Amino acid sequence: MLRVPLTRAICLTHSSRVLVTASARLQSNIPAKAPEKVEVFIDDQPVMVAPGTTVLQAAAQIGVEIPRFCYHERLAVAGNCRMCLVEVEKSPKPVAACAMPVMKGWRIKTNSEMTRKAREGVMEFLLANHPLDCPICDQGGECDLQDQAMVFGSDRSRFTDIDHAGKRAVEDKDIGPLVKTIMTRCIHCTRCIRFASEIAGVDDFGTTGRGNEMQVGTYVEKLFLTELSGNVIDLCPVGALTNKPYSFSARPWEVRKIDSIDVLDALGSNIVVSTRTGEVLRILPRENEDINEEWLSDKSRFACDGLKRQRLITPMLRKPNGELEAVEWETALIGVAQAVQNAGDKVAAVAGSLVDAEQLIAVKDLLNRLGSELLCTEQKFPTADGTSGTDFRSNYLLNSSIAACEEADLVLLVGTNPRYEAPLLNTRLRKGYVHKEQDIALIGPKVDLSYRYEHLGNSSSIVQDIASGKHPFAQRLKSAKRPLVIVGANALSRSDGKAFLAGLHSFANQLTPEDKNWKVWNVLQTNASQVAALDMGYKAGVEEIVAAGPKVLFLLGADGGAINKDNIPKDCFVVYLGHHGDNGAPLAHAILPGAAYTEKQATYVNTEGRAQQTLVAITPPGMARDDWKIIRALSEVIGTSLPYDNLDEIRDRLEDVAPHLVRYGRLEENNFYAQAAQLAKLQASSLQGDIDVKQRTLADFFMTDSISRASPTMAKCVQAVKKAQATA
Amino acid sequence: MLSRSKLLFPSIARNIRCISKSATNLSDNLFVHRDTPEDNPNIPFEFDEENKRRIKAILNNYPEGHKRGAMIPLLDLAQRQVGWLPISAMHKVAEVLGLPNMRVYEVATFYTMFLRKPTGTYHVQVCTTTPCWLKGSDEILDACKRKLGIGVGETTKDMKFTISEVECLGACVNAPMIAVNDDYYEDLSVKDTEEILDSLAKGQQPKAGPRNGRFASEPAAGLTSLTTEPPGPGFGVQSGL
Amino acid sequence: MRIRDLAIYFGFDKLQRLYQDVKIHGGLLMAIQKFRRFDDLKSGRLIGQDKYGNKYYENLYYFFGRSRWVEYPEYKNCEMDGSQVAPEWSGWLSYRTDAPPYADPIKIYTKYKWMLDHSENLSGTKHAYMPYSTTKPKIEAWVPKKDD
Repeated sequence: MLRVPLTRAICLTHSSRVLVTASARLQSNIPAKAPEKVEVFIDDQPVMVAPGTTVLQAAAQIGVEIPRFCYHERLAVAGNCRMCLVEVEKSPKPVAACAMPVMKGWRIKTNSEMTRKAREGVMEFLLANHPLDCPICDQGGECDLQDQAMVFGSDRSRFTDIDHAGKRAVEDKDIGPLVKTIMTRCIHCTRCIRFASEIAGVDDFGTTGRGNEMQVGTYVEKLFLTELSGNVIDLCPVGALTNKPYSFSARPWEVRKIDSIDVLDALGSNIVVSTRTGEVLRILPRENEDINEEWLSDKSRFACDGLKRQRLITPMLRKPNGELEAVEWETALIGVAQAVQNAGDKVAAVAGSLVDAEQLIAVKDLLNRLGSELLCTEQKFPTADGTSGTDFRSNYLLNSSIAACEEADLVLLVGTNPRYEAPLLNTRLRKGYVHKEQDIALIGPKVDLSYRYEHLGNSSSIVQDIASGKHPFAQRLKSAKRPLVIVGANALSRSDGKAFLAGLHSFANQLTPEDKNWKVWNVLQTNASQVAALDMGYKAGVEEIVAAGPKVLFLLGADGGAINKDNIPKDCFVVYLGHHGDNGAPLAHAILPGAAYTEKQATYVNTEGRAQQTLVAITPPGMARDDWKIIRALSEVIGTSLPYDNLDEIRDRLEDVAPHLVRYGRLEENNFYAQAAQLAKLQASSLQGDIDVKQRTLADFFMTDSISRASPTMAKCVQAVKKAQATA
Repeated sequence: MLSRSKLLFPSIARNIRCISKSATNLSDNLFVHRDTPEDNPNIPFEFDEENKRRIKAILNNYPEGHKRGAMIPLLDLAQRQVGWLPISAMHKVAEVLGLPNMRVYEVATFYTMFLRKPTGTYHVQVCTTTPCWLKGSDEILDACKRKLGIGVGETTKDMKFTISEVECLGACVNAPMIAVNDDYYEDLSVKDTEEILDSLAKGQQPKAGPRNGRFASEPAAGLTSLTTEPPGPGFGVQSGL
Repeated sequence: MRIRDLAIYFGFDKLQRLYQDVKIHGGLLMAIQKFRRFDDLKSGRLIGQDKYGNKYYENLYYFFGRSRWVEYPEYKNCEMDGSQVAPEWSGWLSYRTDAPPYADPIKIYTKYKWMLDHSENLSGTKHAYMPYSTTKPKIEAWVPKKDD
């Protein structure tokens, strides 16, 4: 296999890494001259390409698709499926288009007699050992082998060798609760192997044996323990690796596919929701170069069965005997409205991690009309002394953008485990590490990030040393061309988070990256709702609410545990507005069932400040309704109608508050770094204790919010991981 | 009637191939690992001191960043130390080279000379490819089986002998032959074979090479060409030169 | 004769018929009662009665289609339905045959022990058949814990 650029990924020895890095640096100092383009002819069409371009890429430039199985743009070239054979004039043999760089003046024929014969032959060999089980195969309908056999294969079979050797059969592997393997179907494209070793950084897959006995697998019985395992399902061109929870449930042509946004982490990965008969069957990634490329984390992909369990489907009110009782909407709204009217301005709201911008603005407008300013998010962000850390947007965003993280040359991670807090940001960092000689250092507990990093320690005094420039790493950051400081939102939510913000932010501003516009200061949020809430002026952290002791408290999907029985007054009327019965709902005196992210058209802002919208894939279950509409209806019952009746009007209101919230897909430029740092400095305090992260191992990754906690698949994953860790 | 049956039988014959059969096993090796009491990752493995020195020397042959090139020599060392290649030895090699275990499994399963099953001290490999077969390798194989009381692919209870039937080992001129570990025993008769196995069982090291009096692979019936002394320098050159 | 023609011409004979029908039904009150139940007041020859108490009448004075009718028993009150007609009478009532069941040899002799008793259509009543779902509900609702 061709793995030349991946020496760094494979050689784990430290000394070798330094050597490779040094030599690469030396080369990168020489300014690269723009290489001359070479002209080649694809089916007699001339095309100018850079030297080193492969035949397949050159053909793709003019829209000629060459069939392939093993080739994948984001993985190393393997060249072992031979499906991409094409004829090159004057070459006696067909060449593998995916691995062969073009030469000047080549005339490539992608549809000649020789090419077609080569493809037919390769296809015949593949099919000779591929089972004819398409009718019971989950890949049917989205199978590359099926499609390409239809287009490029022969029209009849010559396979009669059932008496002599028969078709080969390979035993199935158990690689965990997410990926089902039917290894007889494997055509040995090795995409899964390359994905595991290059992208996921878990070298568990490989080929064992040789010749006809070769098989793809793990050799020893082993789970594929990574947060990105689901992606091998998409990569597999045949049905060898399929989606275990989705197995035997639907054909791709039966499902409705709706483009949407994932909200289970703060990256806002783009997804496609497949639904049938009002059920979310599966979630697939949608390509977005700026965010998730074409990957998706396992939680985002497989937690969708949590949308069917523990759902709130009717409004509920607490009876005098303390039991929650299902009631009609009218009763519930009147009950809540009475409580609100009696409370005067002692009304408060806490936003959880899955709340959309429309709901946030509706609640904010309602409470402001009632005379209350007590609007908070569950997760803390340092604010104090009348100056708010959230006044400047650049304070709490991943300013440099997700895509730019792979361009950095030196990254400092503070109090975060990006592998589990934002798996797809971690793949970016790993990509930078493997392909672009990025160096990464971490302050926090020692965790497995799937690449090598410098562990600076987990004491918060190191942060102080770096901020004051005493630490040797501070010097390295200063001399780096494109340094990044990524601080985890959980580190900032500590009681001494102020000091983190003040110290690191002003230090980050002192750095002088090569490019003036390079953003050094980055915060990695963990909640999908946090950025939108802070943009809208929600306060971070619930202390103010706890101190004020409200009479009515709205929990907007607040299941994180910031609000509990003990820190709210006994007579406080709690209204839970959300979609899952998790930690928040049992506290409630009234439950207003809302819609989950697959059930509403709603705006979410990701950690880099990019607004994106989900679309309605299915209708909310039972009597559940769009969250902002519930607030709108409630406002009418209370007697102060909110001035928007439909989605367009509430989005106009969003635009009034913060215009970027409706500029979908666009990344807004942030500013005022110097001022923000200045402001942060005023509130500096000292750091104490060690830095910890919430998600240390894979077992902590799967269940982090109300949807994934309700998901049986995620529960199975946690069990499998724990079992594997216990035996390892 | 006759013509109809003629039509009928081919169609039956054609349809019989729809009845599937299980695939034949093409290798006597298993390409996945199964934990057994003899072979599991919990059995500790450590290179002995001598091998550690050898490893150091082998690793020095490879430049920094390309140490994985030493994988096959290291696996071979481990196999020589144990007699076969247990999974814990593979793990050790991976550890020495700083590679993921899977990369070592890939190599160890690819090469048939890495024995991933418990194997006797003496690995008796009987060649049964055409030239040896023509010269009576079947009898040699039978003699081995009879002598050791085991079948092909089996190991004696005392873990001393394992018999394998192998394809051509490249000593066709000296057929029939067996290879015991690194030594070739050639030009065998049944008696020779029994003798070799007997002395191995006693712990002696029989002399390797042909058994019919030949020195190497020269013709058995004496030289037929190049029978004279080679002429010295100046042979056939013009006298004037 | 002429007077009678004149009476027919002015429709007095209908009045006379009404008077007779009322009389046959046993007085004004009974007649009103009947009319309330059947929306009609017809008198005819009683052809027979089935085991449920339905009475079958015929009066060829009425045109085809209205000349045979059934009077449901008193205990059914206003809960009447076409399916309460006994199956053996159905043919006679809908003019498939002119022979009432007791005069029809096929109906007399084709009696088997496996023949089930007739049951009326129960749709719309509380005994109606309601198919229930055997599949799991798509959404599992949250059930609040009692001690909370």
